[in-house]
Amino acid sequence: MSNFSYESKFKYDPSDLFGHMQEEFPQESEFDVVIIGAGPNGLIAAAYLAKAGLSVAVCERRFEVGGGLATEENLYPCYASNPHVLYHMMVDYMPAIRDFDLDGPALTWIKPNAQTGMVFEDGSSILMSRMVQDTKDSISKYSFKDAITFGSVIRKWRKIVDEIVAPATYVPPMAPIEITMAMERTELGREMLELGEYSPFEIITNTFEHEKVRTMMLYASCMWGLDPHETGLGFMVPLMLDRTVNKCYCYGGSHKFGSALAREVVKHGGLILEAAGVDKIIMQNGRAVGVQLAHEGRVLRAKAVMSTLDPHTTFLDLVGREHLPDSILGDVEGWAWDKWSFNTLHIAADEPPKYACDDPWIDEAFATVIGIESVDQLISHWDNVAAGRLDLTSFGGHSTCESLLDPTLSDRPGKYVSMFQIHAPYGIEGGWLDRRKEVQEAMLSRWQKAAPNLTHDKIVSIGMEDPEEIEIRFPQMRRGAIKHGDYGPLQMGCFRPNQDCSGTDTPIEGLYVCGASTYPGGLVLGGPGYLGANKVAEDMAIAKWWRPTSEMERYIRIYLQE
Amino acid sequence: MGKDERFDIVIVGAGPNGMTTAAYLAKCGLSVCVLEERTECGGACETQEPIPGVRIYPHAMLMYASAAPGFEQLELHKYGFRMEWEPTNPMEAANAGLACTDGWRAISDADKLGWAKIGGMLGQPPFTRELLRATFWCPPHPSDVEVTDENTPYMQVYKKHQPDIWTPELREMTMFDLMDEHLETEPFKTGMAFAAWASGAAGHWEGVAIPAALCVQLLTLPNTGKNSIPRGGLHGYFHAIHRAAVHRGAVIRTSCPVDEILIEDGRAVGVRLRETAAAGGKTIRANKAVIAACDVHQAFLKMVGPKHLDPALIRTIKDISLKNQTLYVSVFHTKKQLTYKERFRELGEARYVGENRQPGLGIYPCDSREIYYENVRDVDGRKGQPTVPPERALWFQTPPQSFDPTDCQASYPRGYISNAFEMAVTSPDYHTEGEDALDRHKDEMDRFMRESYSQMVDGLDDDNLIHHWSATGRDIEFRNTGLIGGTWCGSRHDEDQLWTNRPLPELARYRTPIEGLYHAHQTSGHPGGLCLMAIPYNLMHILIEDGIAEPGKWWYASPYYIPQEGKISARRP
Ligand SMILES: Cc1cc2nc3c(=O)[nH]c(=O)nc-3n(C[C@H](O)[C@H](O)[C@H](O)COP(=O)(O)OP(=O)(O)OC[C@H]3O[C@@H](n4cnc5c(N)ncnc54)[C@H](O)[C@@H]3O)c2cc1C
Ligand SMILES: Cc1cc2nc3c(=O)[nH]c(=O)nc-3n(C[C@H](O)[C@H](O)[C@H](O)COP(=O)(O)OP(=O)(O)OC[C@H]3O[C@@H](n4cnc5c(N)ncnc54)[C@H](O)[C@@H]3O)c2cc1C
Repeated sequence: MSNFSYESKFKYDPSDLFGHMQEEFPQESEFDVVIIGAGPNGLIAAAYLAKAGLSVAVCERRFEVGGGLATEENLYPCYASNPHVLYHMMVDYMPAIRDFDLDGPALTWIKPNAQTGMVFEDGSSILMSRMVQDTKDSISKYSFKDAITFGSVIRKWRKIVDEIVAPATYVPPMAPIEITMAMERTELGREMLELGEYSPFEIITNTFEHEKVRTMMLYASCMWGLDPHETGLGFMVPLMLDRTVNKCYCYGGSHKFGSALAREVVKHGGLILEAAGVDKIIMQNGRAVGVQLAHEGRVLRAKAVMSTLDPHTTFLDLVGREHLPDSILGDVEGWAWDKWSFNTLHIAADEPPKYACDDPWIDEAFATVIGIESVDQLISHWDNVAAGRLDLTSFGGHSTCESLLDPTLSDRPGKYVSMFQIHAPYGIEGGWLDRRKEVQEAMLSRWQKAAPNLTHDKIVSIGMEDPEEIEIRFPQMRRGAIKHGDYGPLQMGCFRPNQDCSGTDTPIEGLYVCGASTYPGGLVLGGPGYLGANKVAEDMAIAKWWRPTSEMERYIRIYLQE
Repeated sequence: MGKDERFDIVIVGAGPNGMTTAAYLAKCGLSVCVLEERTECGGACETQEPIPGVRIYPHAMLMYASAAPGFEQLELHKYGFRMEWEPTNPMEAANAGLACTDGWRAISDADKLGWAKIGGMLGQPPFTRELLRATFWCPPHPSDVEVTDENTPYMQVYKKHQPDIWTPELREMTMFDLMDEHLETEPFKTGMAFAAWASGAAGHWEGVAIPAALCVQLLTLPNTGKNSIPRGGLHGYFHAIHRAAVHRGAVIRTSCPVDEILIEDGRAVGVRLRETAAAGGKTIRANKAVIAACDVHQAFLKMVGPKHLDPALIRTIKDISLKNQTLYVSVFHTKKQLTYKERFRELGEARYVGENRQPGLGIYPCDSREIYYENVRDVDGRKGQPTVPPERALWFQTPPQSFDPTDCQASYPRGYISNAFEMAVTSPDYHTEGEDALDRHKDEMDRFMRESYSQMVDGLDDDNLIHHWSATGRDIEFRNTGLIGGTWCGSRHDEDQLWTNRPLPELARYRTPIEGLYHAHQTSGHPGGLCLMAIPYNLMHILIEDGIAEPGKWWYASPYYIPQEGKISARRP
């Protein structure tokens, strides 16, 4: 039975014409754990804790679970695509996928060899593949030296990822000094530390010599929001590059990952409420004791409340300023949103895009970068965006034909859905409502220039989701913040979202935070939710049914154990 | 891939009927696997958000299921089922009038009383739930039992509680006949007949007066007489069913279309998935039963296939009539809110709904049954593009999303959303200009729709309109292959295809000529379309009879159910 407690007050009375015929979820109920938000992190936290035997409820504001794991018919009618998460970067390492057996019949992960291409205006191209030698072959067109470098560097970086960065994602954060001490233990660790002293721009330009290769590598390093010029997070460059050639597609659409996680929650007795936005975290004697649902006033009491929302929503809107200790108020108010958001064009067409370039395999690539010609141009595009501008004569982004990987997205046979996504400012000069049309046309013509077969007559349907709309769909992605907050040295590691809360517990007893704004951060890493579940299990002294993955065990053994 | 997987029960299709069946059987302790072709469960009970902040229910939108035993038997409240109860209600206002070409017409007291009486509300105590359950939640009688006035469930209920409705002709009548006897004004009768045509059986079909009237009552009467909806829309109600199934251990596999039902020695033993399935062409075995919860044509003609069925049966299955209308659903995005035309303003305030004050229009135009006939003649008779002028085209508009505060529509920051306008049009498979006619005529149809709707409201002009989302029956059919013919309920709910005739007398009790194969889809089982949890409840009686399901104490059978001789009775002592 769904093992929460409540008092049933329902009685059917035929003579009461205005009475109800069926019982509803109770007005007041009691759980061990209530989780706010059913994105990947909320669902992962819920699944672990429900399977541990706790009574768990997840409250989700939307009509559907998944958060960023969304697949919607956004080219209505008949064509679906993934408006948010499309590239699954951490399938290889995420503990939740292994612990719940989500690879196999439950979910099918596709990892194409042709991963990320870049097409230049002159018809040349680079293709980064899962198989290192294929990537080297492609780079060798420009520089044999870079090809060789890529081979040796990616091999080393892969080790850094495999041995350190990936497993560390699922281990609680450490203070910088502790990290330094841990990393000093091995050669690999010292190399990683050294990378931290450089900016992504420096790392890439120091490593590669050819302009086109550098452009490709820099795009791949920073597309998720690393600042190309900032030092301190250089250790993430290996992760970003390694993941660029190892990302997966979720067959049937990203939402399937969300549904599969939700079924794990429910199978183990957890409850999920959709259309259940939380508008208040109930505080009693300085402790978080439950939540209240917007519009319907239902109250769910709990020993632990876990929020996966951004710091503003959790602390200022739901808890309330008056309950916040001074130690975190300043940090919460000073939280920096992502420096850029995404603007995404979706189309359904008679054909997939066919890029005019020297490498036919580019057409099969999971992602293709277009419109970016040089490092300088890329950086000025990003600088523009960070400053609220979009230069429509010089911009670029990445595109994917989802139908090539997944025929289920198009209900009309023989049609293909594709998307083209660019970094874009939330607060664009002139406002999105007024500039939408112009931006859409510019994006389409940029795309058509790279893929001349996408003529207007072949396009059956077109739609665009701008950064303001990201926030309309998901209010916790404030200012279109795809990761609920910027990646910068002061908002990463043990500073995410601040030093008091990065271990997922907070100075407020009974309140935990475990969304993208908590360590290790945004994207579908499955880290915050996993770490939140671990913390709650420890605080409640519940036996964990799961063990760290083998990579985590190795990492702990080499770097953390006495 | 290893050995074939095995379950007690394999269900094909995760629409409301497949999933409810899974929830019932999992609750009986059986191991159940549900295979769904699409990536998301829900069948025609789904919600989409095509642009952020705008939600469209492309198919099912309104709650008809309140009287279902399933709420209690499956304990949906424990799985988060919640309703939205106090909407600013268009139907309440509809009590004041029906929209006709020259403005509102009052509904008389006699109309209200007569309608309440048909719905069982005047009984002492009211017997609405019992009446609805008898009509929809009771399996058809066994084929060797002659159906009579005495044993027809709704006849028994009326006889007991409201004898003045009971007449020897009641089973033969049309809904219009019934209304002529008990109601007063023409607009009210016309409106209800149209609502019935769009909800189940039509107002002018013989022999289905009560099912036709009651499928409208399913919507309006139970629970407050108001038009209430589940939080999160009908898909939210589906979620509660889905969770009830999963929590009891049902295994759900999406992106897994079934190509073939495996038959060995005349018995269904499992299914084979299509090559493009997420689990790639594999076989899944069923120890006890395979249940086809997908459309009847596909299930028999393709998945079972001609080699296992005799040609006469194949012919009658092919002939199952889909000559039903389909609903053309429109949602509008406008710069300014739509407003009533002058002649409808008098009811003004009461009929604006929700935070953003969307007009709640109801059914238009209800002047007389002549208008209804003209529309039916176009759609079911001529089967082509409308010949009625736009000012006489019949349509309805219900804005449930506007009165559900959990839906973001009402607070959409980039203009106004008006949902959902629906008009009955010819289903694509029977369109005389070919099945792709609706594709070719889409722009013209969209214009026709706007012109029709503009009879009642201002604001659908090019200056004010930002976007018109429309889905034709053809789109419907592509989106969900369960909706064969692109019609909302598949096979027609007429006398020849209802109750002990649905879809054919030999298939009426959900059994098939193949041992171990049952069907449970709107196109194939009584009572047909709508998300009622009725087919699964009715099917349970049969699965108990066949010794497949052995429910616990929570189960109760329909009081009007007649067990089949020689089988285990589904009635508990
Ligand atoms: C356009 C775009 C593209 C992206 N592409 C990728 C990609 O390719 N790969 C990748 O890994 N990541 C991608 N991301 C980032 C990714 O979507 C997020 O980082 C990730 O979803 C964060 O997960 P989460 O569980 O922390 O929160 P979310 O996924 O944001 O989920 C939070 C949930 O909380 C709900 N909620 C909000 N307010 C309330 C409330 N008051 N009460 C209850 N519930 C509430 C929301 O509805 C939501 O379901 C993309 C994001 C965007 C916007
Ligand atoms: C426009 C419209 C408006 C409607 N309005 C309402 C309303 O307001 N209220 C209401 O209650 N009802 C309404 N309905 C009707 C309601 O949606 C249907 O009656 C109901 O969904 C039928 O449920 P089902 O489970 O029988 O079939 P379906 O919902 O059709 O589900 C069948 C499932 O089987 C799957 N399937 C098909 N073939 C295969 C295969 N080979 N392998 C695996 N899976 C397969 C399909 O993908 C689908 O998910 C409306 C319908 C339409 C079209």
